[in-house]
Amino acid sequence: LFDDDETMSKRLTKVEFTNLDKILFPKLKITKAQIIEYYIKVAPKMLAFLANRPLVLTRFPNGIDMEGFYEKDAPEGTPSWVKTVTLYSETAKRNVNYILCNDLDTLIWLANLAAIEIHMPLSTIDAREKPDFVFFDIDPEPPASFENATSIALSLKVKLDQFGLKSYVKTSGKKGLHVLIPIVREYTFGETRAFVHAIGRQLSKEHDIAVSEFSETKTPGKVFVDYLQNSHGRTMVCPYSLRVTPTAAVSTPLNWSEVEKGIKPAEFNISTVTSLPKDPWKDIFENRQKLEVK
Amino acid sequence: MKLEEKTKPVRTPRRPIWSGSITIGLVNVPVKLYAMIYDRGITFHFLHKTDSQPLKYEKVCTKDGKIIPWAEVVKGYEVAKNEYVVFDKEELEAAKPESDKRIRIDKFVDYFSVDPTYFYSSYALLPDKSNDAYSLLLAALQKMGKAGAGRIALRTKEYPALVHAYKDALVLTTLRYAYDVVDPHNFEELKPLKTPEKTELDLAVKIVTDLSGEFDINEYEDNYRRKVEELIEKKMKGEKIVVEKPAEEEVKGLMVALRETIKQLEKK
Repeated sequence: LFDDDETMSKRLTKVEFTNLDKILFPKLKITKAQIIEYYIKVAPKMLAFLANRPLVLTRFPNGIDMEGFYEKDAPEGTPSWVKTVTLYSETAKRNVNYILCNDLDTLIWLANLAAIEIHMPLSTIDAREKPDFVFFDIDPEPPASFENATSIALSLKVKLDQFGLKSYVKTSGKKGLHVLIPIVREYTFGETRAFVHAIGRQLSKEHDIAVSEFSETKTPGKVFVDYLQNSHGRTMVCPYSLRVTPTAAVSTPLNWSEVEKGIKPAEFNISTVTSLPKDPWKDIFENRQKLEVK
Repeated sequence: MKLEEKTKPVRTPRRPIWSGSITIGLVNVPVKLYAMIYDRGITFHFLHKTDSQPLKYEKVCTKDGKIIPWAEVVKGYEVAKNEYVVFDKEELEAAKPESDKRIRIDKFVDYFSVDPTYFYSSYALLPDKSNDAYSLLLAALQKMGKAGAGRIALRTKEYPALVHAYKDALVLTTLRYAYDVVDPHNFEELKPLKTPEKTELDLAVKIVTDLSGEFDINEYEDNYRRKVEELIEKKMKGEKIVVEKPAEEEVKGLMVALRETIKQLEKK
């Protein structure tokens, strides 16, 4: 009648936890158990973004102060219940056996692998060449600050509003902000990339601090409106993914009103994000739009 | 069987490990020293997996892998990496503290003023030949709650020691040297300790008061040992052992989060 915790754990998840007390964020002494707990808690908001996307992970099995690695291939010992898909990778120039995270168990399994960051492509496996998100990566190059990135992002928002396009904003978890438009799957990456690039050029004309060209990426004190991620094989850090930062920051979906008031990205981290009351991106999948300027 | 023996209280030793006298100034109390403390864990033997035959240790030369007989073994103290000064048995024997068969008492102290952190091991002191001096010393220590503080040389070491009363007997408790105990002040974590607020302290004091009681050592038992003993009994009866992994604290925390998330996902 009364299950012990072990049988209970088997009934609740297929994942066999390992090294739960291993410290992965040494500065705050955050253990793997806390990372897993975090991903369990954000799963209801996060899973919809992950579904059917071949994932790229950054794994730090010995903690973020030790060497980590990018991982595209499902590692040795991947359980049979984890869904994978074999696709040709342009960058790796070979077939890669990608992990798909379509359920809670897989997300928990990823966390147990110490996959701190989870990166997703902007299209799903059933329509790889037709992205369902347009992605603006607002990336300040020091001494340009997060506040500088914020002002460019807010200006971008006004522009998209004028076009009648509803946009969504999240922190990158590092220096900048990410702005997304959910779109119907009718456009190629070439088209979405051109769209973002064109708007970037307009922003750079209106703001001295904004730059739109790849050659200007690392210009000190400028905010680069990165359009290049809108490409086949490129990825974006998934909403609610942890970042490899000393304070375990989270790439956190926000309301535009919060960004207008001014935020500190480090305040959105492993311990605060799970207690955020609402999901500001709740309706994002019901708002797939056409890229038409109204 | 052998196992039942182990679960019983420790057996009383028959032979003393030392005999001599407690000396207090010019007074001598002849005593014998008996072992009193047993660290009884469960002892396992290493066996060869394929045929369950016991394995033994050999001294193996790290250079050529040859097994070295005891007669060819000497002790070396490493003075630098791979550099040793060599001693044979006699040389070390000669350096041993002179066991002058005395427990020299320097002064008498309150037994409870010595922090148990320094307690090393305890031995029963029994009267040797005559009972009179022994029972007199015991009665005086019991009446005053005092302990004699002094020194004893045992085997290769000299120890600070207390002679005190325990259950109508004199007991010798050897002590650790101050320099063998870490001073907690050296821990960085303890340096910025804040002084608690009065209200916090009052609450803590209340909790401690509410939970106060008499200490009874018999309330404590080694659960690991008990479990292994149960397993041994099962094995002896030929029962098969099912390995149960205990849920770790961390797993319990994760279960709470999991249940909540699964509930939310089911609602969707």
